[in-house]
Amino acid sequence: MRTDLIPISILTGFLGSGKTTILAHLLRRRGFSRTAVIINEFGEVGLDHELVEASEDSFIELKTGCLCCKIRTDLAQTVQDMLQRRDEGNCSPFDRIVIETSGLADPAPILQTLMTDTSIAGRVMLGGVVTTVDTVTGATTLEQEDISQKQVAVADRIVLTKLDLNGPAQPVLLRRLAELNAGAPVLSADRGKIDSQCLFSAGLYDPHVRSLNVNSWLAEDRRSHARHDADIQTYTIVRKEPIRAITLTLFLETLAEHCGADLLRLKGIVNIAERPDRPAVIHGVQHVFHAPAWLKDWPSDNRSSRIVFITRRVPQRWVEALFEAIGAEVAGVSVESKRRAAV
Amino acid sequence: MSEVPVDLACELLVQSLPAWRVAGRVQHSRDGAIVICGALKDIRIDPASSDPMFRWMVTIDGRKRWAISLVGVLRQVREALDPGYAANRVRVALTPLVPY
Repeated sequence: MRTDLIPISILTGFLGSGKTTILAHLLRRRGFSRTAVIINEFGEVGLDHELVEASEDSFIELKTGCLCCKIRTDLAQTVQDMLQRRDEGNCSPFDRIVIETSGLADPAPILQTLMTDTSIAGRVMLGGVVTTVDTVTGATTLEQEDISQKQVAVADRIVLTKLDLNGPAQPVLLRRLAELNAGAPVLSADRGKIDSQCLFSAGLYDPHVRSLNVNSWLAEDRRSHARHDADIQTYTIVRKEPIRAITLTLFLETLAEHCGADLLRLKGIVNIAERPDRPAVIHGVQHVFHAPAWLKDWPSDNRSSRIVFITRRVPQRWVEALFEAIGAEVAGVSVESKRRAAV
Repeated sequence: MSEVPVDLACELLVQSLPAWRVAGRVQHSRDGAIVICGALKDIRIDPASSDPMFRWMVTIDGRKRWAISLVGVLRQVREALDPGYAANRVRVALTPLVPY
């Protein structure tokens, strides 16, 4: 196992939803001291970084534009510079990076940059995506702002903020969050205070216990609240029969080809017919996919393949039909090849 | 005959048109083909009978093209019916999903 990979987590959430307040509290905690922070501010005068007390050498503000569209190369360069300073001992040592996005940022392109940029490949790995939701205006924001829906949909953790102003979260807000992303645990921050451990152990790999949380990461059993008329939908495809590797490859390739940006996120654990004892964990953001991670064992007795989809306007029935048709074609070719070989 | 049951291919195309938000109706023809009508173009998809390489024949406004697989059929049909369509190519991440 490589222990030198630095997990990078993303802290996102709509404008004014309390990201900086949470970060400011976290950075005062001892357990959070070995954390480097990148704050992306979008505007002429950046204020967020003034609100965060952190040592200057582990804190960087990116202000030249929005991370998700204009300065993706800057992000990779910034991460690379941070790692170099760490290697040379020119900054406080850190073993985690948190990126606070601007309130208008789409997290998907940021995830893609972290997954594909050659300058940081081999040094970092994805942590989780944490999304803040303001309980005062959150329900309205989710109705009016597409980007806030995406921020919630791709989250591994959702944090409710401003409960001190509004009391407990309104049922309408909780329902909407469950519709957009029933899989992500919903946590609460008390005036910005929240346990960093449960916040940033949101990725597939938990560096604190050095193990994988596949079931918690997939959370497919919680994803039953999807509203089927909504633009953003979450659903799970479950198959008991093992899946041929080539079927999975063609399926993912075709999904990426036809869905592109509408495939917000895909997570899964797959029983591959050629390797039934070692499940493959798959993960994709839009058309970018990680190479499968082969686990040593199944995390439970459940050996079904489970693939969770978080999509925008990609009907489940189409995904199911695509999977069935490709599977049948691959199976047919295999039978035909054997028949011809026998002849 | 193509190894994919035509029913499954037909169902995939039935689901594909609304998924792509394009107009049209998908039907089985009596001779075993799949026909898309009422769309931007007339499309007919025949399972290839004997060729081991090309399993489908796609005819768009009278012009015939082979397709190796259903994935190829989908691509041809989408390109014909959805002029704004630009295929995305898969990119494989350089960072690992887990640290081993």
